Amino acid sequence: MARPNTKTTRRSAADTKTEVKNHLDTPEKDAIDHPKPVLWYTPAFELLQYFQRAADQWTARYVVVITALVIRIAVGLGGWSGKGVAPMYGDFEAQRHWLELTTHLPIHQWYFYDLPYWGLDYPPLTAFHSWVLGKIGGAIDSSWFALDESRGIETIGVQTFMRYSSLVSEMVLYIPGILSAVNLIAKTFKVSRMDQIVVVLIMLSQPSLVLIDHGHFQYNSVMLGLFLCSVVELIKRRLVVASVWFVCCLNFKQMGLYYSPFIFTYILSQLESVTQLVMVGATVIGTQAVILTPFLLGEQPLATLTQIVVRVFPFARGLFEDKVANFWCVSNVVIKYKTMFTAADLSKLALLATLASIIPINALLFYKLKSKRDQQTRIAAIVIGFTTTALGFFFFSYQVHEKSILLALIPATLLLAIDPALIDIVQWINNVGCFSMYPLLKRDELVLQYWVTVFMANWFVGAPRLNHHSWLWRLIMVGSYLAMIGYHVADATMAPPQQWPDLWVIINCGVAFAGFAVFYGWLHYRALQL
Amino acid sequence: MAQYSLFNVWAVSLPLKLLLMGGYHSTDFDVHRNWMAITKNLPIAKWYFEDTNQWTLDYPPFFAYFEWVLAQLVPPVVKNDGALDIVATGNYGWPTVVFQRLTVIASEIFLFYALQTYINTSKTAAGKRRAYVVACSLALSPALLICDHIHFQYNGMLFGILTMCLARARSHRYVSSAFWFATLLCFKHIYLYLAPSIFVWLLFQCIGFKPVKFDWQLLTKIGLTVIAVFAVAFAPFARQLPQLLTRLFPFSRGLTHAYWAPNVWALYSFADRVLIQMYRHLPGVRLALDRYLGADITTKLSAGSELLASATRGLVGDVAFAILPTVTPAVTFGLTLFYMVLALIPLAMNPTYSRFVGAMTLCGYASFLFGWHVHEKAVLVVVWPFTFIAARDRSLLKPFSLLVSAGFVSLFPLIFTPMEWGVKVGYTVVWLMVFFVNFSKVTPVPRSTTPKSTGGVILDRVVQWYVLGLVPLVVVVTVLEVLETKYAVLQRLEFAKLMLTSVYCAVGVVGSWIGFNALYFGRDDLWNDDDDA
Repeated sequence: MARPNTKTTRRSAADTKTEVKNHLDTPEKDAIDHPKPVLWYTPAFELLQYFQRAADQWTARYVVVITALVIRIAVGLGGWSGKGVAPMYGDFEAQRHWLELTTHLPIHQWYFYDLPYWGLDYPPLTAFHSWVLGKIGGAIDSSWFALDESRGIETIGVQTFMRYSSLVSEMVLYIPGILSAVNLIAKTFKVSRMDQIVVVLIMLSQPSLVLIDHGHFQYNSVMLGLFLCSVVELIKRRLVVASVWFVCCLNFKQMGLYYSPFIFTYILSQLESVTQLVMVGATVIGTQAVILTPFLLGEQPLATLTQIVVRVFPFARGLFEDKVANFWCVSNVVIKYKTMFTAADLSKLALLATLASIIPINALLFYKLKSKRDQQTRIAAIVIGFTTTALGFFFFSYQVHEKSILLALIPATLLLAIDPALIDIVQWINNVGCFSMYPLLKRDELVLQYWVTVFMANWFVGAPRLNHHSWLWRLIMVGSYLAMIGYHVADATMAPPQQWPDLWVIINCGVAFAGFAVFYGWLHYRALQL
Repeated sequence: MAQYSLFNVWAVSLPLKLLLMGGYHSTDFDVHRNWMAITKNLPIAKWYFEDTNQWTLDYPPFFAYFEWVLAQLVPPVVKNDGALDIVATGNYGWPTVVFQRLTVIASEIFLFYALQTYINTSKTAAGKRRAYVVACSLALSPALLICDHIHFQYNGMLFGILTMCLARARSHRYVSSAFWFATLLCFKHIYLYLAPSIFVWLLFQCIGFKPVKFDWQLLTKIGLTVIAVFAVAFAPFARQLPQLLTRLFPFSRGLTHAYWAPNVWALYSFADRVLIQMYRHLPGVRLALDRYLGADITTKLSAGSELLASATRGLVGDVAFAILPTVTPAVTFGLTLFYMVLALIPLAMNPTYSRFVGAMTLCGYASFLFGWHVHEKAVLVVVWPFTFIAARDRSLLKPFSLLVSAGFVSLFPLIFTPMEWGVKVGYTVVWLMVFFVNFSKVTPVPRSTTPKSTGGVILDRVVQWYVLGLVPLVVVVTVLEVLETKYAVLQRLEFAKLMLTSVYCAVGVVGSWIGFNALYFGRDDLWNDDDDA
């Protein structure tokens, strides 16, 4: 038999040294210098551990961020809201239409132009944002946003431009917001650096926002990015700067109002002097004034301002539009609100219910913030406060969209930066949140994207994890996951019974609502423990 | 010892591959769909004769069998979608796309299996770790993502077979190694370019000079294995062999592909273009050229203008050179063979595993740089063997990083749809970042203890600047692409844009080849096998 070439291997001293050096490089040895990451067991950590040395951690951050961008582009290869559905199309066309009208019309016509065809009904910053994007896009290809003539345009060019515009919009504020918010919070709670990177990965791969912004198509990440910038400033105790960001957030999308009661509570609890109060107040009014100035300089300023308010707060619409996993829609199965109350009564009822849902938590957190002055309580209160208040609005306010759950999910995921061990609960609520949007995504032909991104987000953390130490949580999660699987099986294999064509959607809303309600309750419990 | 499992890597890369299903795919998609249709609907004797569709079956028999297996798995919904119709142009929809995309993803599992085998057969802990980085870099290669999951091909599975061949070779399992390589040849004949290296290596395992030996048993085993594999592949086509061979080796194609692969001929064509312009606009150059080359340039320039124009637009076909001598297939073949033989001599004298992989890399280089009608995708044939030895020594990482960065960027023009732009660029950037860091981490520092010469330091800098120069290259090309729709002038520059990419990348690939040659022929210590090559 032939033997391998038996020339003996030359193992010089240099070689041995290399061996030793290589061994020191191995992650297991290197980890000794740092606190052991809580999320060490996750597949995401398994891949990122090779960047554990401090010198390599920047690489890991870039890798995570660019990977997130690549995934977003790949999701963008799928369908979008209202694709090919003439004559009205959907959210994609609405956003595109705003780019078209803001770039071609004088500012005083923006909120008046052809209202039945996706008239502008978002606050001014969205309009300005559309104007900037419209100018850039129009410079590349003027046919994409030609006034009136471009309606329903779905060429590969405009599609690409819109997709990349939402990507770039997300890169500007949302991603830096996530990075710095996670970093600041984690530092206070002494979360290891590797955990931070994994948490950033989890936040950036959150399927709900990816699917809505880059699949369905909207610019929620801008509003959420402005919100995160505000949170970062709140954490840094810079109330004035935080108010500027927050007013911008409100002026990008009125949904930002979901956060406003808590930021009010929080600022009130932190004020140390009347001067500070005046300064914050003046900042809010000043920022709002600056944002409205272009309209005031245009023709008919007063009529324009009134019209903005009318368009942005549409109380003429119904209590809820599509099926959504909130209190009204779910309890509507038993109590037919629309036959029992008038629209005006309903809006009052909604207002009362919303207040009832947010006042206790805000009062509690105000008390906690006043009585305990340490960093950890303060930051935990911020995260819990925003999440709970947004959930309260989602459950009880008027005119809620299924997409509004994003407002609760983003601060909820920040809980991981406080304690990465909460991964099981956070991952569960993220799954429930994404599940609640499934009917919408199915309409947009994003079923493949839904499954793939949900799989990916769960794979990263090795979830769904069902080994919570409390039996109650285990029961809730297992029950909830079983119900979700049941829904998907039913939806995929059977048509709903003829007398209840909406049955599957109602079940979806019910399951999701139950999950949100449990989470809402749990947050109250966490707040009590602060 | 740490467990280096590729399962996680596979699972994490899966979502992106699934999301890309709905994106752009090239005509290669219809090629493979047509082959499925042919193998499903026709008797085996007619497979290599069928020509309803212009994409006739032109891969060796094992690939045809593979398509036959896939065709058996087609579910009714995909069949009704037109996946199995023999038609001039495929008329298919989403179900066919999903099915074929899934076959690529599923067949790629073999690549992961092969790479895992490679990791598991490493002996030492450090070797395992190095093998893991090598395996990950190959499994996640941007070239595979671009060629297989966007463009559409089955390279993953094929390179899995090559990986099995190399893993077995490292474990000194010669018969197994020969088996896998023969199998690979019967799947796709482009790997013939690598065959000289494995042939010489196996031959010199059986024959030795110092001490003299002749292991006829091993030689017989290897020979019989190879013959058996080829018999299984070609026996059913015994009567159609001449037709099969004309399909496999069509000699009617041009020197360069539609878009120039970044090789020597790209530089050669570019030089000719430059000379034409100089000839036209610089009287001094004109005089000099006329004196040395005779007066026929003007006639060539006017008479051959049609051909020249076609070459400028970069269509497939004969490329005419106005000033430089025309390149014939014989010349390309001669050059390829010459550089291959040059690489095989040291292998014959010292047939270690590392030498073998080095020689295979050089065979890949020779075929890629000097071959006739080379596709840009063929760069994988060079990258693949090179990766297995790149982590042996820091000095090897320089040509390696040049090759991968230039080679992968040269694949960008393959995917020209705007939506996928971010995928190809973003993914490649991530890959380069991850593996530049990790390769240098697991690679031993140079064995030679001499301090770095000034020349070496300058060379390092040049390489770094070259790699960074790829960024402005991609930016310029992208800006030109974006503005193309607006300014008609830029549309005429379309070929210039492609030329820019391929010439710049060709410089990198040729540079890496020179650097690798220097190490292959100049540093004997690099090529001795250690515990874990």
